[in-house]
Amino acid sequence: MEASGRYGRLLLTPIAVIYLVALVAPISFFLVMSVFRYSALDLWIPTVTGENFARLLGESYHRAIIARTLKIALLTSVGCLALGYPLAWYLARTTSAWRGVLMFLVIAPLMTGVIVRTYGWIVLLGSEGTVNSVLRGLGLIDRPLKILHTEAAVLIALVHILLPYMVFPLFAALAGQDPDLERAAHTLGAGRARTFLEVTLPLSRPGILMGSALVFTLTAGAVVTPALMGGKDVQMLGQTIYELTMSTLNWPLASAVAFLLVLCQLTILLVYFRVGRRRVA
Amino acid sequence: MSPDSPVVGPARASGRTGRLALGAVVTAIYVFLLAPVAIIVFSSFNPTEANTFPPTGFSLRWYAKFFESAGFVNAFRFSLWLAIVAAVVATAIGFLTAYGLVRAGRRGQGVVQSLAMLPMMVPHLLISISLLLALLVVPVPDLAALVIGHVVICLPFAIACIVASLEGIDAQLELAALTLGASRLRALWEVVIPLVAPGLLSALLFTFMVSFGDVYIALFLSGPGRTTLPIEIFAYMQWESTPVVAAITSMQILLIIALGLVIERLVGLRKIMRV
Repeated sequence: MEASGRYGRLLLTPIAVIYLVALVAPISFFLVMSVFRYSALDLWIPTVTGENFARLLGESYHRAIIARTLKIALLTSVGCLALGYPLAWYLARTTSAWRGVLMFLVIAPLMTGVIVRTYGWIVLLGSEGTVNSVLRGLGLIDRPLKILHTEAAVLIALVHILLPYMVFPLFAALAGQDPDLERAAHTLGAGRARTFLEVTLPLSRPGILMGSALVFTLTAGAVVTPALMGGKDVQMLGQTIYELTMSTLNWPLASAVAFLLVLCQLTILLVYFRVGRRRVA
Repeated sequence: MSPDSPVVGPARASGRTGRLALGAVVTAIYVFLLAPVAIIVFSSFNPTEANTFPPTGFSLRWYAKFFESAGFVNAFRFSLWLAIVAAVVATAIGFLTAYGLVRAGRRGQGVVQSLAMLPMMVPHLLISISLLLALLVVPVPDLAALVIGHVVICLPFAIACIVASLEGIDAQLELAALTLGASRLRALWEVVIPLVAPGLLSALLFTFMVSFGDVYIALFLSGPGRTTLPIEIFAYMQWESTPVVAAITSMQILLIIALGLVIERLVGLRKIMRV
């Protein structure tokens, strides 16, 4: 077995090298940058300082963006859960011959890329978009509603774009359940609602947590969708990072923002492993 | 309804309304999921600039406009090139990794496999920006960073496809080849690779789609003359939004759906997504 172990290590070498060089090392360096001092001349001075975090948490401009990002990330997770749960439950329980096709229809939008789907929402929600022309055609409104460039528009598009990330973990959790458990609850006299609340729902908890964690992180790091759907009016942390590195060239502050995002993600993952595993075991 | 079963009757009726309600909810969710994609295809054939609905006619002028625009055509070509390179490299490395995980796997397989999925758990924004920073410190050509970035985000998908395919083949076959005196390399080339060919092909197609649709890596790492299609569209959309974009994205949707269906036939998308 010794030879087999060495063979295995050899096979895993390329990916280990690539991840170390192109993922772990650059990200670590970028995050360390958050304690460096910003300098207009040298870009950064490698000393330890807390001024980036102080600025980030001290200035009301940044505090407002942080609060909005957390709010939209939370609402997107809730929205994805509300839409994703019935969908995942249906896909896990249905015996329909169309199940494969229905699964494909959930995955297909995911594969078209973020730009394509965001553009679809612009066409639908723009001032000359489908929703406004239908409402005007029906005589319900005289002037086009301002939907684009609002938080609601960002939220709708993000829920749509991230929904598949919620459905997969939920589907895995629901499809993996032993159907006898639900049957047993029925036999023991529990109604549909009680069976769902006391058997199905608790058992799908890892899926709920995993999906929510994924959606929350992906929302917090979104740039393109908030930029196109929200414009300057609905700025989120992702756009702040983009501007800080691409136009202001303040790498240390950008790094502090990213550090905050990573901290959020780690907290959520920790909750996932603590809460999710405890209940199931 | 027989009088002997007073409980079953109402329960069955409420079950039926419950099912109907669930059906309605699920249908509504599917409409929500597919409407933005469908509307793009509709508006790409619109003869006027405004996205009127229902469409006032049928026209291919926006498709013609796309092929006349050098910026979009060049970006399309570059995206195609990048996606092919990233797909081939990611599939090759992904195969070694998946094979290492499944065949030479020990107790740590679960942990290693989770680590291999790392780029899926990290926001792509963070990967991309860190690579850009690395470029400021280490002198590497920008293009190399873009390719490596794409390979990194493609790898989890390649590994998932190939692991799904490898798990379906009998490990005894390879063992038999080895027992009969084949070298490891020969067993790999003549037994394992032909058997996982569908998995390799779907890994190629899947990673092609991931790379072709990517915005975040290219947002930071593409430069003048090396703009990918999504970035070209993003830049264009910040100023104006004519149905040219609809025409381009419609072609992309068509391409993606075709590739997706091929993968579905080869390995089954569900098996891949569950890994």
